[in-house]
Amino acid sequence: MNYDRPELLDRLAAEYVFGTMSARVRRRFQAIQRALPAAQHAVQAWEQRLTPLARSVPPVQPSTAAWDAIDRRTGGRALRPVAPASTWLAWLKPVLGVAFGAVATLGLVRLYPTAVVPVDVIVQQRGTLPESYVGLLTDAANNPVVLASSTRHGRTLSIKMLRKVEVPAGKVLQLWALPVEGAAFPLGVVPSEGKGSFQMADTSEKLLFSVPRLAVSIEDAAARPGGTPAPFLLTGNCVKLW
Amino acid sequence: MPAANIASPDLQQLLARVALGDRVAFRQLYDATAPSLFGVALRIVRQRDRAEEVLQDAFINAWNRAAGYQAALSQPMTWLTAIVRNRALDELRSGARHRTEFLEDREGGAAPDIEDERADPLGLLEQAADALAIRDCLDAIDGSQRQCLALVYYHGLSHSEVAGHIGSPIGSVKVWLRRGLDKLKRCLERMA
Repeated sequence: MNYDRPELLDRLAAEYVFGTMSARVRRRFQAIQRALPAAQHAVQAWEQRLTPLARSVPPVQPSTAAWDAIDRRTGGRALRPVAPASTWLAWLKPVLGVAFGAVATLGLVRLYPTAVVPVDVIVQQRGTLPESYVGLLTDAANNPVVLASSTRHGRTLSIKMLRKVEVPAGKVLQLWALPVEGAAFPLGVVPSEGKGSFQMADTSEKLLFSVPRLAVSIEDAAARPGGTPAPFLLTGNCVKLW
Repeated sequence: MPAANIASPDLQQLLARVALGDRVAFRQLYDATAPSLFGVALRIVRQRDRAEEVLQDAFINAWNRAAGYQAALSQPMTWLTAIVRNRALDELRSGARHRTEFLEDREGGAAPDIEDERADPLGLLEQAADALAIRDCLDAIDGSQRQCLALVYYHGLSHSEVAGHIGSPIGSVKVWLRRGLDKLKRCLERMA
């Protein structure tokens, strides 16, 4: 399709903003918007035009839990010890235990390039774990299966498989990042059991800053950027550990 | 929504402070805009828990992207509404499981979490047209086209869902929507 034609972009932007596109076409057009400023501008123009129509929708008060979740997820109270026990904290407790080793180990070299200091010393000195991104993926029965962790400015993603995943011969377990906006993008291939690590295309901070969820699918081969994932086998939260 | 118009200079200030990581401003922005935005999300995804997820994701997105907000390009409410609508449409279109629930809802299965006034998207379109002083222009659009536009914009129905809803072939719905959108664009541009 020739996206240089302004009238075509305008038509696609109208359908995108108005809402008639299917999930697949929406994802494709979101990718085009990222690549093509003209598409972005066409979408913005339609958003300007159509948004006034939303003003007639009667307001509805969301529950107080909605703000609490937003506050937590933007780092407001997330790690304050005084925070009341929440599902997030309940989730975090076992993760902290397991994450401790993985995060700290791979974080050390980058955070303290001159010396490899034992983790407990760092924790004593700093009082906290290193700034990291941590993901815990669970299966359909909510069993924890994959622990993924990386220091905030590192490129290495460490993987610990908390239980073995059966992978058909010749297939791979592909880890995906699910950003707040836009399509899932591949991070790398994880082992079916044990521990592993791989280099990401960029630092965690760049890749995972707006990624609240991770997922794993079974693929024929390592996924390429822009690829569409097979159905997800495992999914989970990705959080900032700072 | 006159309140948002009156408050929009404040919203710009709040957004500027949010861009600097000001959590108090973030909370104020949320209090000022969340009910309107939640109303928009709830109409599209229909269920409170899904609409709250959409609202959460949208505000987290706004927090992360506030530094990139350009006041010259769009009003804060336009910017925020676009984020919420995009997220809600992604959520609505995001899978067969959800779609099944959605269709079951429509056929009287699980109760939707929203009152009966939702049944009148055309009424909303007409109210919006009145508020924007483009009612004459809207009324000049063919009735079927208006109906399709309202069902898609306010409730996020797909082509085939609109076709099922109004009992017309999908081909006609596509044509009506395309023509209706062209006419609506002219109405809204005339207003601008």
